[in-house]
Amino acid sequence: MTTSQKHRDFVAEPMGEKPVGNLAGIDEVRGKKLEERGFDKAYVVLGQFLVLKKDKDLFREWLKDTCGTNAKQSRDYFGCLQEWCDTFL
Amino acid sequence: MAGLSDLELRRELQALGFQPGPITDTTRDVYRNKLRRLRGEARLRDEERLREEAGPRGEERPREEARLREDGPLRARPAAASLRAEPWLSQPTSGSAYATPGAYGDIRPSAASWVGSRGLAYPARPAQLRRRASVRGSSEEDEDARTPDRAVQGPGLVARRWWAASPASARLPSALLGPDPRPGLRATRAGLAGAARARPEVGRRLERWLSRLLLWASLGLLLVFLGILWVKMGKPSAPQEAEDNSTSRFCQAKQKAALLELLHELYNFLAIQAGNFECGNPEKLKSKCIPVTEAQEYIANVTSSSSAKFEAALTWILSSNKDVGIWLKGEDQSELVTTVDKVVCLESARPRMGVGCRLSRALLTALTNVLIFFWCLAFLWGLLILLKYRWRKLEEEEQAMYEMVKKIIDVVQDHYVDWEQDMERYPYVGILHVRDTLIPPQSRRRMKRVWDRAVEFLASNESRIQTESHRVAGEDMLVWRWTKPSSFSDSER
Repeated sequence: MTTSQKHRDFVAEPMGEKPVGNLAGIDEVRGKKLEERGFDKAYVVLGQFLVLKKDKDLFREWLKDTCGTNAKQSRDYFGCLQEWCDTFL
Repeated sequence: MAGLSDLELRRELQALGFQPGPITDTTRDVYRNKLRRLRGEARLRDEERLREEAGPRGEERPREEARLREDGPLRARPAAASLRAEPWLSQPTSGSAYATPGAYGDIRPSAASWVGSRGLAYPARPAQLRRRASVRGSSEEDEDARTPDRAVQGPGLVARRWWAASPASARLPSALLGPDPRPGLRATRAGLAGAARARPEVGRRLERWLSRLLLWASLGLLLVFLGILWVKMGKPSAPQEAEDNSTSRFCQAKQKAALLELLHELYNFLAIQAGNFECGNPEKLKSKCIPVTEAQEYIANVTSSSSAKFEAALTWILSSNKDVGIWLKGEDQSELVTTVDKVVCLESARPRMGVGCRLSRALLTALTNVLIFFWCLAFLWGLLILLKYRWRKLEEEEQAMYEMVKKIIDVVQDHYVDWEQDMERYPYVGILHVRDTLIPPQSRRRMKRVWDRAVEFLASNESRIQTESHRVAGEDMLVWRWTKPSSFSDSER
């Protein structure tokens, strides 16, 4: 699957203080929902990803419950985070 | 589920073989759902495994043990568990002597009513089975008492044990070797009968019917074998000519007595000759039928009676309509003889054979007759195994097809969503494109059948995907279009 530009930009460098909307697969609507729940920065979502022990199914389920992503979006999101972890963690 | 604390939730998940991460405010719901799903899966797996009959015992045992380990902490142990186990224990002892098929049948429904306390009853199972096996052993001993000749029962019993083992598919005798989980599986299967079935109803009923038929056929075969053995052993029977009531005239009585004595000698001679002929033929006789002259000669030697008396005896035999035990045969072996002149040879109807000879003949006849049934049974068993194999293959194929359908639905829906977000040009996606996305090139030929079935299924059973024909890039091709709004969630997730 070809990765989008958003994905490539995110994975290219440490995420620092990037907001949640920078993650591939998260559009405006979803990003707002995450911020409402307290996940305002990408690293907080990364924290949740790590707390779920990087489990794909659990993370995607959590995403769906939290901000209503569909299959493709959550797949992209997960892929993005996983690649970032592989590179920097 | 809501009442579980974090620690309990973690323990439950670990019991089901899953290692959860930290349970925090944000992860608690996720893990609760996961526990729910794992429990549902475990339950489904139980039922599927129970429904597989005649599976190899070896792999059922560790699986069943793993299952018991999993389900042990989850299932509540009803207080009546010990009570329920006891009636089951007492059942085998109440079984009657040779009601072994009956006893087996009784145990099965009573075991079927025993539900839930698997964790408790599992160690009790070996004891119950051993008791059942001993009931069977005692019933066999009762059977022995009924037959007259113990010597027969020696090889017969050995043969019967072997027969009981093979037709009954080593169900009961194997209990002697180790705990047999099958009765327990049957019990839990009956207990969980309400859940959805994986196999087609008809197939399973046919399978059950076939197995039951085979069981009864084997048991009937056993009975037939014993019956034949018993009959063929026979009893040494005396000549059945009825002694006439002694008449008032002394002379007639004397004559009659002489005649009968002659007949008796003749009968014995013929019987012995026939017996010798049947059992190895040491005198190299040509047939059981002794020529008249020879018989006459022998009788003359033994009883010193004249040929007239001999002929009178023959006439008496001919005229009497009782079964004397001597057959008079003429030239033409099949025709009935009416006059003494036509009689060419005599044959005994009841050859007298030694015990050993009789025993071996009886055994041989019984075995030969039974072997025919055995081959029929073996053929049917082979058929059953083949059918089960075929059904399992069909099921696997169906599962593969459903997996494929799920993946296709995902892809088509994602494509539509992308189109909504202006990432794609058309709202539909070519069928072949989807196939090439999902199946790598090396598997395309192998998965062709699964793919075709999935396409068929989608065309007929999926309302959210529409199969259409469009002209894409100048070429007509079949496409799939997602017809439902994307904000609805999927049934799967």
